[in-house]
Amino acid sequence: MDKETVKQKIADRFGARVRIAERSAKRVYVYAENEVWVALAAFLFNDLGARFDTGAGVDDRDGVEVMFFFPFDREGYFVTIKTFARKPRPELDSISPLIPGAKWIERDIYEMFEVNFRNHPDLRPLLRSDTRPADFYPHRREVKRGHEMSRSKLDGQERADEVAGRPPKGKNP
Amino acid sequence: MVKKIPIGPFHPILEEPEFFELHVDGEKVVDIDMTIGWSHRGIELLSESKTWDQVPFLVERICGICSCSHPFAYVKAVEDLLQVEVPKRAQYIRVITAELERLHSHLLWTGLAGHFLGYNTVFMWCWKYREPLLDILEAVTGNRNHYAMMRIGGVRRDIPSEEYGNIRKLLDFLWTKNDMLTGAILDDPVIHARTKGVGIFGREQCRLYGALGPTARAGGYDIDARRDHPIDAYGELDFKVIVCQNGDVFDKAVVRQLENFESIKIIRQCLDRLEAMGPLQDESELRLEIGEVPPGEGIGVYEAPRGEVLHYVRSSGKNMPLRHKVRAPSFNNILTNEASVPGNTVADAGLITAAVDPCYSCTERVGRVDVATGVRYILSEGDLIRLSQEKTEEIRRRLSG
Repeated sequence: MDKETVKQKIADRFGARVRIAERSAKRVYVYAENEVWVALAAFLFNDLGARFDTGAGVDDRDGVEVMFFFPFDREGYFVTIKTFARKPRPELDSISPLIPGAKWIERDIYEMFEVNFRNHPDLRPLLRSDTRPADFYPHRREVKRGHEMSRSKLDGQERADEVAGRPPKGKNP
Repeated sequence: MVKKIPIGPFHPILEEPEFFELHVDGEKVVDIDMTIGWSHRGIELLSESKTWDQVPFLVERICGICSCSHPFAYVKAVEDLLQVEVPKRAQYIRVITAELERLHSHLLWTGLAGHFLGYNTVFMWCWKYREPLLDILEAVTGNRNHYAMMRIGGVRRDIPSEEYGNIRKLLDFLWTKNDMLTGAILDDPVIHARTKGVGIFGREQCRLYGALGPTARAGGYDIDARRDHPIDAYGELDFKVIVCQNGDVFDKAVVRQLENFESIKIIRQCLDRLEAMGPLQDESELRLEIGEVPPGEGIGVYEAPRGEVLHYVRSSGKNMPLRHKVRAPSFNNILTNEASVPGNTVADAGLITAAVDPCYSCTERVGRVDVATGVRYILSEGDLIRLSQEKTEEIRRRLSG
């Protein structure tokens, strides 16, 4: 299905609940409200015949931007759908019940950004080592800018204390 | 009675860590649970602390086999953000390096599959034929792996014209040997008996699971990023996308074997065009000078040997990515085991998981737990391969009457 038709069909179906931006001839980005996020994915995947590719998260001050890539292979362009899960408890509906191939990438985004995907069939951490603290989300900016940097300076005992959840010596818990 | 058989965290076939828990009823697998992350290195996060030009060196170390595909997809993502087209000579050099990589990757997989089936001669043949290919890659790029050819806006070095003849000789050699291998492997009745109808993964399942590369094409899901999202010179080159219909292990092998011929054709066409261009006159034929990367985002895809690899980058205008997402094809393909392994036997499970050419590091340890009694059995890598090879031997004996 050609790009203009797809854009028109999305606009007709979702109206003001989505915003469509075309960055280049091969890249279309659709910003959706949380409430129509799953319906938009279903529309692209089931009705318009897009292929499911993968997803990604991008952390921001006020929330996590979550995106999924839906290429149209015959016509050679990508439709990327995006939504914004607000902090402090970013949450979205899962598209895994609709597309089983999204299970692992949603687990990945949950693990890296703490985005809780509601109705996910099995939202366990995917890549985490056993020694990583349960509330450690490495791609969150507060981790990248503070916690992670200070961690590298910790000596062995302090690191062990941190893993065990004990407060560091000489500091308030 | 359902028992659980944990495989891993070291995969029985390849040298990378992975954990499968097979739920078996007798010899039949009824469910599978998979755990990955044993070699998670935080490369995305690391990449976000490197400059735009340093990242290719990092991402080519994601995988020793796809050490051209990842930087290829990354530079295409940045070039998508920048909206630039690289010089023609650089496009051909990129394609030649990437297709040589595909050839050695497919040969490696065929060899390992042969070993697992009990055909060690196939293993030795494939790895023997792969060796001169790696020598050529070393001559062309300076290294057997981690070629460091890709650069935003072009390539880092030219392929010297005196190497064209050596590459052509290698391609003639590989064509003959691949022809022989294809005949030897695909006409063998034991291999038919061992791989046909095993681990079937059909077109609709491929669509639902987002399967990629030979795993998808074997099941009739006709996708190939080189044709569908043509980057660089691929749009002007003549090649076929190999698609089968059954989705079993046999078809996955057929797709890879026949793709080798297409890769050879692609490289020959690129060499023809490079010869027509004549020797390198100026460095500007190799690369564009890229200055600052403005704020924006870009998506780069390339068809790696195992399937489409996707890189997403976002820039805030600084000298390093604000976000760099990497999706290797195995991330989607390993998940397909969830649907392709149940229903098959334990002896076939290892073969099916290996048939997607999984890209994690593996080996060596299998534990078997009888959930009813709590008794734990530990099997070695050799034991699991022996199970598979014994099944092949049994079929061979049966067929020879």
